[in-house]
Amino acid sequence: MNDINKKRTGSLISIQDSLVKARFFDDVVMGETAEIAVDGKFLQAEVLQIQPDPKNAEAGIVEMQVFEDLTGAKIGDEVVFKGTPLSVLLGPGLLTSVWDGLQNPLYKLSEEDAYLKPGMQAPSLDEEALWDFTPSVKVGDALTGGDVIGSVPEGKVDHKILVPFSFGPCKVESIIEKSTVNITQQVAVVIDELGNKHELKLAFRQPVKSPIPFKERAIPTKPISTGTRVIDLLAPVGYGGTVGNPGPFGAGKTVLQHSLCKYAVADIIIMAACGERAGEAVEVFKEFAELEDPTTGESLMNRMCIFGNTSSMPVAAREASVFIALTVGEYYRYQGKKVVMLADSTSRWAQALRERSGRQGDIPGPEAFPMDIPDQIKGMYQRAGDDLGTGGSLTFIGTVSPAGGNFQEPVTQATMDATGGFWGLSQDRADAKKYPAIDPLVYTTSVYDGFVSWKDRQKMIQTLNDANDIDQTISTIGLKKVPVANYVQFQKGLTIDFCVMQQDAFDKVDACTRPERLAVINQAVQNLIDSDIAFEANDMDDEQLKEMIKHKFDELRQWWKDWNYAAKTDEELAKLPNAVDKFILQEEYAV
Amino acid sequence: MIRKEINKISEVGKALISVEGNPGVALNHVVELLEADSGQSLSFAKAINITEDSTRFQVFNGTTGLSTRTKIRMHELPLTAGFSNKMLGRSFDGSGEVADGGPEVIFEKQLSTRLDTLNPTVRNVPKQALWTGIPMIDVFNTLVKSQKIPIFAGPTEPYNRLLSQIAQGAQADVIIFAGIGLKFDEYQYFKEQLSQSGNIDKTIMFTHLAGDSQIKGLMLPDVALSVAREFGDQGKDVLVLLTDMTNWSNILRNVANYQDMIPSLQGYPGSLYSELAKRYEVAADIEGAGSITIIGATTLESLEDPVPDNTGYITEGQFFLENGKLKLARSLSRLKQGVNGKTRNDHRAIMTAMASLLADAEKAYEASEVGAANDPYSQKLLRYRTDFIDNIEEPFGEPIELEAALDRCWSILKRHFDPTETGLSKKLIEEYWDKN
Repeated sequence: MNDINKKRTGSLISIQDSLVKARFFDDVVMGETAEIAVDGKFLQAEVLQIQPDPKNAEAGIVEMQVFEDLTGAKIGDEVVFKGTPLSVLLGPGLLTSVWDGLQNPLYKLSEEDAYLKPGMQAPSLDEEALWDFTPSVKVGDALTGGDVIGSVPEGKVDHKILVPFSFGPCKVESIIEKSTVNITQQVAVVIDELGNKHELKLAFRQPVKSPIPFKERAIPTKPISTGTRVIDLLAPVGYGGTVGNPGPFGAGKTVLQHSLCKYAVADIIIMAACGERAGEAVEVFKEFAELEDPTTGESLMNRMCIFGNTSSMPVAAREASVFIALTVGEYYRYQGKKVVMLADSTSRWAQALRERSGRQGDIPGPEAFPMDIPDQIKGMYQRAGDDLGTGGSLTFIGTVSPAGGNFQEPVTQATMDATGGFWGLSQDRADAKKYPAIDPLVYTTSVYDGFVSWKDRQKMIQTLNDANDIDQTISTIGLKKVPVANYVQFQKGLTIDFCVMQQDAFDKVDACTRPERLAVINQAVQNLIDSDIAFEANDMDDEQLKEMIKHKFDELRQWWKDWNYAAKTDEELAKLPNAVDKFILQEEYAV
Repeated sequence: MIRKEINKISEVGKALISVEGNPGVALNHVVELLEADSGQSLSFAKAINITEDSTRFQVFNGTTGLSTRTKIRMHELPLTAGFSNKMLGRSFDGSGEVADGGPEVIFEKQLSTRLDTLNPTVRNVPKQALWTGIPMIDVFNTLVKSQKIPIFAGPTEPYNRLLSQIAQGAQADVIIFAGIGLKFDEYQYFKEQLSQSGNIDKTIMFTHLAGDSQIKGLMLPDVALSVAREFGDQGKDVLVLLTDMTNWSNILRNVANYQDMIPSLQGYPGSLYSELAKRYEVAADIEGAGSITIIGATTLESLEDPVPDNTGYITEGQFFLENGKLKLARSLSRLKQGVNGKTRNDHRAIMTAMASLLADAEKAYEASEVGAANDPYSQKLLRYRTDFIDNIEEPFGEPIELEAALDRCWSILKRHFDPTETGLSKKLIEEYWDKN
């Protein structure tokens, strides 16, 4: 690494939108950050490429993307290279925070100006907040990067204080007693193998593009209760898993995201609002702050942090925002926490890469995305995972906004290839107001274990499939040609779709279905699928019989829907399998 | 102050010029182009691409008539927009110059047109309605202050007439009309209609006519939105009407092509989403200040085209204009839920009931096209459908208050249905059925 004390500079020779080139005479490190002095402000930039200078053999040319608006920049403006790659500040105070894409705290910045202006900066974490530090090592202990030296309570979360991951083997030279400190104060000194001393504080900076390691990486197994039935039944996601969630506009992506923030069982939720509407992020941090976490009874924001690089913010910072959020997720995973990260939307992230590669003059791939976009997407999702060594996990749920709602486009395709689960929102279901609009037939895949057995899941999908086929038969050749037995199968599928797959995200009871309730529902569903229903034909002809069957199923669906909204106690829950049993026998069940 | 001048233009293209070398101009700063001999001002231009070897400018008034001898005078400032309360009732062009032949406006201040992002923490969660006097909007997709919403319409639909209707009835403090690529008769119609209503005194028009310089059209939304934002910061509720954003996107596409940028879909630059978002995101309900609401007309052949598709992801809902009617089935808005529960107690219920009956009526209509739907109830539904299209989906006419619009809904229901067929609660039926 370079001598930190030596100032290395360059000067601008080309400016185009957010991409600049500078001439330098010292050395420049690929990926390092730089500041560009424009009109007395310092704009953040990142090195993308280093080339020879055709005009001057002594010099080199560095290409950089700038994270802020460059209005006013001139040829010759000074660039100062920082020597450190793009990094994030990790430490207590991350939770409840709301930042822009570069970890500038938005509430703090709003004290200065209502608008975000180029060059504005503030400390990423509150430097005045005090934390009760309890040490867990003593003088002479041998440590290495990632080891715990103590902890502070961060709300309900036990926040471990770690030796920065870049550190090699070292020994504790001094450590403070249990005391109250802020993140700028020294809590320990360690001495490395070369005899150099390093000061440790509650917070440290971590590069965002090189992942924080796993201790013992494992395949995700335990499913997350998301509270959304179609997901938990058909396309569950495991702790440490990855999911792609594409959908055309208006199909209900935002509502689904909000629902996951509220109900997914996890220690920490990180939201990377990447290139999307500001209003949606605002709803989360303003309204969720007042909503209660159903498990802790505290404000929902206490387990959340939000990176808001919204659609009108500088495009170059969009790419950074996702990596910064991922690194925060990895940090908490390393502490043994179950983290769920939502990135909305990875398409905007990919578009930022497209804009950049276009300006750099790269040869474009399909739809002008960079050729290596599938690899970049895979690399990003690969940072999620389950860690047996720490007991933590990082789950990554990325929404995708396919152009024209077409799932064949490059980002959706690459995402399907990169993720273990797939929740596709369908325009047809959204148009029919069937929410959540995840199509149970086409767009639910998952490699993760679920809350119901694989066999049960397959039976459910088979019934839905049958119903779909019969529905098409009915609309092409008419109901008359459909045998009664098939018509019953069709009604069974309709019932499962209407009462189980569809769910009201705005109803207090129906919005969230936990595993116990899911088990009750599954019992009823399986029973319904497996049984012949004792309809009495008497002297009805087939058409009258079908009319009667429809009527009976309508009643059941109405009853079941009411149950969805009302049943809370164990006793009330048990009524569903009972009612279905009675329905199968065609006995009276409405109570 | 003596301003530095450059004497040699090396390249003149469509809308763009270049000079060799680095004259010291800064990115996005403005220069003035002068006739070589007379020194007469020809146009302004903006530096968009600077290297040590050459500098490229977008020329506001077009490049026709420019020569390599044309002089460039540097202004060393980014593009600004003049602001004054005296702009109300007046018309301006895409760079904010008076365009109605009236007296010059003395600007009180110059605004940055950079459209910096509003800090999200300063945004209020949208909760206030903005009434338009159009039943289809006020009852069924209530416009919310700070909402950004497009009108999707085929190119031959009367979307500009609809914007003019909204401008006449909208209960906003200030209305800003921003027209890009307008036909002259559309501009004139809008102006005349507005003059006849009382809202002309609170309206500012920024217009770019089809055939005017492309760059002026490209910059028009930034100038108009900067002025809108200043009113918003001063506490006013501002309604911005942008038309037509497909024209604007097409100019963006042209200019990107002149700059040899790599196109993504249908020739549009990869930045189309970000560029549209930057403008629409100006819509906001600002804590401790006013609000900016944006309705943007987007003409389309197909919803999958890049402009409507990107717009749909950026905006909050949509109005759909088809055959001159605002179609209930194709319009949507999530934000309305934040306001329509706080109006008259029948608002949400009647919205749901009528929408559900209309969905049934559409099915009956489809059946009727193949000769089915002969039963009396289907006939009822068909008559309801016609009535709904004529009296609710019809956006044009005298603006009416919400209460009157709701009453109109009741009387339509009463004309065609028995109370039990509406699915409305007994309580509401008792309260409203016989009143209308």
